[in-house]
Amino acid sequence: MLRTVWGIRVERRLDIPRRTSAAISGLLILLSFVVASAVFEILGVNSVRTLSTIVSVFLSPSSLLQAILRGMPIGLAALGLSIAFRMNFWNIGAEGQLYMGMFAATGMVLLHAYYGAIPEQLLFITMILASFISGGLYCTLPGFLKSKLGVNEILPTLMLNYVAILFVDFLVYGPWRDPKGFSFPLSIPFPDYARMDGFFGNSSYLGLMIAIIVAALVYGLMRWTTLGFELRLVGQNVDAAKYGGVNLLKTTLIGSFLAGGLAGIGGLIIVSGLIGRLRPRASPGYGYTAIIVAFLAGLNPWLIVPAAIFFGGLLVAGEAIQATLNLPVAAVQVFQAIIFLMIIVAEFFKRYRVTFKR
Amino acid sequence: MESPQTLVEMRGISKRFPGVQANDSANFTLFRGEVHALLGENGAGKTTLMNILYGLYKPDAGEIYVKGKPVQIRSPHDAISLGIGMVHQQFRLIPTHTVAENIIVGSKEIGFTLNYDAINEELSKLIKFYGWAIRPDSRIWQLSAGEKQQVELLKALYRKAEILILDEPTSVLTPQESTVLFQTLRRMASQGLGVVLISHKLDEVMGVTDRVTVMRKGKTVATKLTKETSPEELAYLMIGRQIGVIEAKKNVAPGPPLLETYDLKILDDKGLLAVKGLSIKLHSGEILGVAGVSGNGQQELVESLAGLRKVEGGKILIGGTDMTNKPPSMFIDSGVAYIPPETLRYTAAGMTVAENIILKAYKRGKFSRRFLINWKTVFNEAEKLVKTFNIVTPSLKTRAGSLSGGNIQRLVLARELALQDDIKVVIAAYPTKGLDVASTEFIQRKLAESRDKGIGVLLVSEDLEELAMLCDRIIVMYKGEIVGELVRGEFDLETIGLMMTGVKRAEARV
Repeated sequence: MLRTVWGIRVERRLDIPRRTSAAISGLLILLSFVVASAVFEILGVNSVRTLSTIVSVFLSPSSLLQAILRGMPIGLAALGLSIAFRMNFWNIGAEGQLYMGMFAATGMVLLHAYYGAIPEQLLFITMILASFISGGLYCTLPGFLKSKLGVNEILPTLMLNYVAILFVDFLVYGPWRDPKGFSFPLSIPFPDYARMDGFFGNSSYLGLMIAIIVAALVYGLMRWTTLGFELRLVGQNVDAAKYGGVNLLKTTLIGSFLAGGLAGIGGLIIVSGLIGRLRPRASPGYGYTAIIVAFLAGLNPWLIVPAAIFFGGLLVAGEAIQATLNLPVAAVQVFQAIIFLMIIVAEFFKRYRVTFKR
Repeated sequence: MESPQTLVEMRGISKRFPGVQANDSANFTLFRGEVHALLGENGAGKTTLMNILYGLYKPDAGEIYVKGKPVQIRSPHDAISLGIGMVHQQFRLIPTHTVAENIIVGSKEIGFTLNYDAINEELSKLIKFYGWAIRPDSRIWQLSAGEKQQVELLKALYRKAEILILDEPTSVLTPQESTVLFQTLRRMASQGLGVVLISHKLDEVMGVTDRVTVMRKGKTVATKLTKETSPEELAYLMIGRQIGVIEAKKNVAPGPPLLETYDLKILDDKGLLAVKGLSIKLHSGEILGVAGVSGNGQQELVESLAGLRKVEGGKILIGGTDMTNKPPSMFIDSGVAYIPPETLRYTAAGMTVAENIILKAYKRGKFSRRFLINWKTVFNEAEKLVKTFNIVTPSLKTRAGSLSGGNIQRLVLARELALQDDIKVVIAAYPTKGLDVASTEFIQRKLAESRDKGIGVLLVSEDLEELAMLCDRIIVMYKGEIVGELVRGEFDLETIGLMMTGVKRAEARV
């Protein structure tokens, strides 16, 4: 459809070349820097110094590694979301699934440390599996409600976040509290072989490897497998999927399991790579940031990894800004929000062609 | 006789969309006081040409003259102020507002305050003149499709349109409503308006117009006086070749039954019994027609035969195997091809043409090994099917949603008929509805080919001539039950027509 208002003409695009799409995204991310500067200036904050602090995070090797590590839980959750969103499953519950991943990973460590149930060599691999399954099952519940009973997934996934956060609170304040921890709400510290920096010296390396492998798997799954085809078909048109002989229940359950499972592995990275033990509120909203990252990357798994590192860097920058410029962390959150708004604006420009007349 | 006044002249209009030349130096002239048909197949560029005249698209090349003056039409607003009105296929009315309110929306003459009495009076005058039954204070949602169309016409008349474009106006109307519309169009022409009727239906073009401009592949191929031409000539101009006649099968003894239903009971979406105990047998190598006014249980029947709707009672056997309430994938595996009534509903619009072609076959045969899809085979096969089924698409990676209706129908046909070797039964529901002559012929030919291969074809249609031409047997459905059955040789359109209203066969015979 086409409308003309004040000499501005908005025309629906039939097809958009990939290059144009990328150019639009790039341009609007640049624009978000400009808008953010303007906002900072209005608030009386030196925008040049703020933005240069943010940029400098990506220039020094040590803070870049930090950015990568912070980005990995976000990235894994976002990779899961890219599957969920492609099958039209609006999972807002990556945050809760992260917590369920942390819970399971920590549980394995405790089984090993308290009962000796798992041998040392197998501990880390068991933690990966457990966090994947735990996060996955947690997301399968709303998936089941959706495909079996027709319950909209948005509210269940969102509300289950609080359940998971409080459940982890209960564990670390109660049964899982470190007996030698002076009553702090913390689990016991993980042994070295259950920590990611025990592998290549720095947790970032293993984290990045995991993320890249998962990105490749997700890409391959969606592109080359019959399951990926079914997931995309369900996301496109449920009637067409049914007509094509797709088992809706099975596909939705598998898709939501994978989505939650990847977020669960993100949770493992938090406890095993970032903190080294379980504590309350261990995720400062990585699961929500993952939604932004998934959309910024246009649900493309390969782009999700760098986008996640970018947002990981913003978190690191937030701390730097707080320390050196004496600004609240909110400054970085403002920046994040502006980027998200620009992504939404970019979506509009990808869908419509806008031309100016006279 | 003085020469008629030219209202519109369009010269050398070209318009390109990505991958399609929609208009290719098209010419069009409209006189005062005529009804002028713009005839062509789906995708011939009729609507694009008229959308350009109405300012919805900007032409790449060409000139437009309105009453002799060269004009630039940049928006519908420009078009309206030049006296051009257009009635689209989809009505653009606000359901909760009144007729009068819908008509004055966006009108320039109306000042800051509204004088409803004056507006209503003027509208009533127009309504009375055209002999309609609508009232200015009725709400749109209370009106039938035909009446809504009258509101759209009224809108154009109220804005003093002298040039009126109607895009396939009869596609939403019942035959009776169409007759009323044609009377209206004649009356408008006699008032000195120029009316453009976009259509692909030859009979209405022959019946109501003064002149015909035929379009093919974006070009205007000829303009004729209606009384000096014939449907055959127009069809030839429209398609560019003669239409063939499809041979009905010679009487051969029917093969074994491939599809059987026993006392089938099916509920509709509201939970009411839509099919009340239906028993049919479809044999190998025959086309069984299901006639009936749509909404008499046909939709529910075909959906259950494709496994898409649960059956409340009774049995469905395919090739002798009980398939009652089995999932759709098992129906597909047992060799049921289903051409659904709303093809777009069963198309993944955002996925590519190639992906839509393998929508049902992706797990089968050569397209996948274990869990991997073999895209190379998919593209090779899709390439072939696009050619054999004449699907017009810029590429195999084009989004299926951007294809025209006729092309989506061909895509569905390719997907259903060409990808499975062991098809036993083809369920075709209204496969040619709304399609142009060439596409209709193509689809009917494909169904006949399936029959010749020994497949059983169940053809649900409202088009009695189509049924009479293709079918070996016809059953007539009314309110979820079979009113009667006729075999080839007894087909009589009038009898079937009567039976469609619920008259039993014995009575209809008289």
